[in-house]
Amino acid sequence: MYKWYALKRILRGVFMFALLMFIFSFLFNQVNEQTQRSQISEQVKMESMRLKGMKPEQITAWRDNRTDQLIKMYKLDRPLMERVLFRAVNTVTFNFGKSTMIKSSKGEQDVLDILMEALPRTMILFTLAIVFELLIGIWLGLKKAQRPGGKLDKSTSFITMIIYGMPSWWLGMMLILLFVYVFKLFPSGGVNSVPTPQGFAFVLDRIWHMALPILTLVILGFWGLSFVIRNLVLSTLQEDYIMSARARGIPESKVLFGHTLRTAAPPIVTMALLSLLASLSGAIIFEGIFSWPGLGNLYWVAVQQNDIPVLMGDLAITTGIYQAGLVFLDLIYGFLDPRIKVGGKA
Amino acid sequence: MSMKDVGYRFKEFWDDFRKETSGLIGLGILALSLIVVLFEPVFLPFKDVDGNWRNISYWQDSPPAAPPAWTNLFAAEKSATTAYLNDPIVEDVDDPDFGLARVYTFKYNYKYDKSPLDMIFRAKGDGMLFMNLSVIRPDGETVYLGQVYEEGLDGDDIRFTVDTDARSSVYEFIRAHASEEAIANSDSSNVKPTNIIFAKAGADMLSAREPLKGEYLYKVTIPASLLEDGTNRIEEARLIVTGRVSGVLGTDTSKRDIYSGIIAGLKWALFIGLVTSIISVLVGVIYGIICAYFGGATDTIMQFVFEVFVSMPMLPILIVLSATFKPSIWIIIGAMIVFYWVGPVKTVRSMALQIKEETYIEAAKALGAGKWRIIFKHMAPILLPYSFANMALSVPGAIVAESSLSLLGLGDPSIISWGQILHDAQLSGATLNGLWWWIVPPGLFIAIMGMTFAFLGFAMDKILHPKLRTR
Repeated sequence: MYKWYALKRILRGVFMFALLMFIFSFLFNQVNEQTQRSQISEQVKMESMRLKGMKPEQITAWRDNRTDQLIKMYKLDRPLMERVLFRAVNTVTFNFGKSTMIKSSKGEQDVLDILMEALPRTMILFTLAIVFELLIGIWLGLKKAQRPGGKLDKSTSFITMIIYGMPSWWLGMMLILLFVYVFKLFPSGGVNSVPTPQGFAFVLDRIWHMALPILTLVILGFWGLSFVIRNLVLSTLQEDYIMSARARGIPESKVLFGHTLRTAAPPIVTMALLSLLASLSGAIIFEGIFSWPGLGNLYWVAVQQNDIPVLMGDLAITTGIYQAGLVFLDLIYGFLDPRIKVGGKA
Repeated sequence: MSMKDVGYRFKEFWDDFRKETSGLIGLGILALSLIVVLFEPVFLPFKDVDGNWRNISYWQDSPPAAPPAWTNLFAAEKSATTAYLNDPIVEDVDDPDFGLARVYTFKYNYKYDKSPLDMIFRAKGDGMLFMNLSVIRPDGETVYLGQVYEEGLDGDDIRFTVDTDARSSVYEFIRAHASEEAIANSDSSNVKPTNIIFAKAGADMLSAREPLKGEYLYKVTIPASLLEDGTNRIEEARLIVTGRVSGVLGTDTSKRDIYSGIIAGLKWALFIGLVTSIISVLVGVIYGIICAYFGGATDTIMQFVFEVFVSMPMLPILIVLSATFKPSIWIIIGAMIVFYWVGPVKTVRSMALQIKEETYIEAAKALGAGKWRIIFKHMAPILLPYSFANMALSVPGAIVAESSLSLLGLGDPSIISWGQILHDAQLSGATLNGLWWWIVPPGLFIAIMGMTFAFLGFAMDKILHPKLRTR
């Protein structure tokens, strides 16, 4: 039953996420607690300023009392394991606390708010890029597989190798240099112009701002994808039933799309999404080059301002997305390949 | 497996490999970069760049943000390039001021349209020194630059720059030639001294500023009596003419020579990439074999650990790790290995599952070979070659990962890496100011390194996995 397969896979994903959060909170325990302690003393200082009509010794006593109270509240007086576990549970339940410096556009310091503001921007950028990459990649991969060793196959494979190690953020810099400062076609960064236009102009303005980052991702992304797809399709094309289909006089396009692509679909989807997921986790900081205020840009800002809570929250969210991507991948795989969900061997 | 077997297998591999053009190109570039790394001092214009990359005084004689010297080829007006004049002509002459004097003369042939930014006289001195500095221009005019008087020197540096130390003297030169009107009309206190020294003298010299080409003599005159007793000495006298264009790849805003940085960064890029990929692939292969060979509970547990590592997004974790612990490059490499070893595990495990059932493994077992002997002596040597392609292909990833960390400013400050150069460029808005020679080369070299290993990796992949071969 697909239902049970899906449920099992999702539960495993959730468990893995929780486990990773536990590992992270163990790994970064010290720096987290330092930040929390300094945040507590900051908070107590702020609160004691508001106190009125108290003698100095009363204020000191109140401060100590309040600090103890907060330390108890954040369980900082408990043994190590309990502290780590407490923080891991907080992270899994998206309870990230307050940032030290960074504020959301509404001026709030809640880490979750800051992250939730950045998340959609990253998602829209990368999903759009992925869609374009997939479309071009599949088309080119099929073309390549049709004539392996041909001119198109050789030249595109060559380009794939040339750009193999090119960092997306550097290509971003290059495109900015070219299209922003030489040809003056696109804005240098940001999500919208200032002042932000309204209505339909808003959408156009957003697309205008998104064009260059997406172009960067797509230019680098689809080559590797098409190479993977070519290899998968090529190995399917060597199967006997393809030869027999061709021998029966079935038109080539039908052989390609009906027979080959259908059989090769599960691994193609896996490989494609896996490589995209890997590129997302690697390319995420390229947002900083375009000052695109998404999760990747948040890493830049948090590193510069040394805002540990935001950094930790960002890591948790990125890991969560990555984990969700892996689960999603398996779900699609199970959907496309019926052998998986009944527990047989693929 | 004996050495003979290895040799035979290598020869077989080489016969296939040399048919792959792209693989050979990759091998060529790799060999070239290894040569550059081995003979680094030959290629470095600034020999002590390692350890001095962040030392401001080491770079103080270079021009800031100067384009590469070869941009002159495409420019209508040629800019002066940086020149190092290390061999002055030393002669003893009769000087009207000092009597008998020792004169150091530097000959500078000026053939450009835009004057140099600065002329810097440097020397090492001992004891008490007194000198007059002047320039004799091709038109016979002498520009008096100034005096240097130093006491109690003990091998200390003497530095005299035209741009800062000769401002007032050059102003005198303007007063002597330009018309009153022209001086009143222009902000002559802001005039760059070198612009005047290298321009034709005349009433309108402040506005017209036509270059005066020809041979300039930079003279340093020291009274001979000073140098007689041997306690006062001057050594290593040299003149640096700071050009408007400089070096192979120009300089950045902190006056650093980018070409030197790139060459010095090459060894780190190669080192980081190779060490990370080789160790992590070795670990991955052994891990996969152990998984397959032991099977059962060991396999289940090890597969689970594998899965935990697979589901971690590498770069974000590396960023947070570096931001909180500020690690050295060794720790960064170690952390990358922790994430990269998962690469070959899956393929190796499935291949090892097949090999495990082969008869020669059974024979080895029957002969009483231990499990580790079987794993390392019989299984690993067969499976390792298949992961060579994997090794090559994971090099670029490691280089890019380190560069990404450095780009964020989280790199190890004790080394020079291409990512760090890009970080500095990004920080001072190089894209904004159009300093393309600062942004293009580091990234290009990262990309070229990636390309090199992709060429090698794909070529090996084709040979080792013949199913993908084009028929």
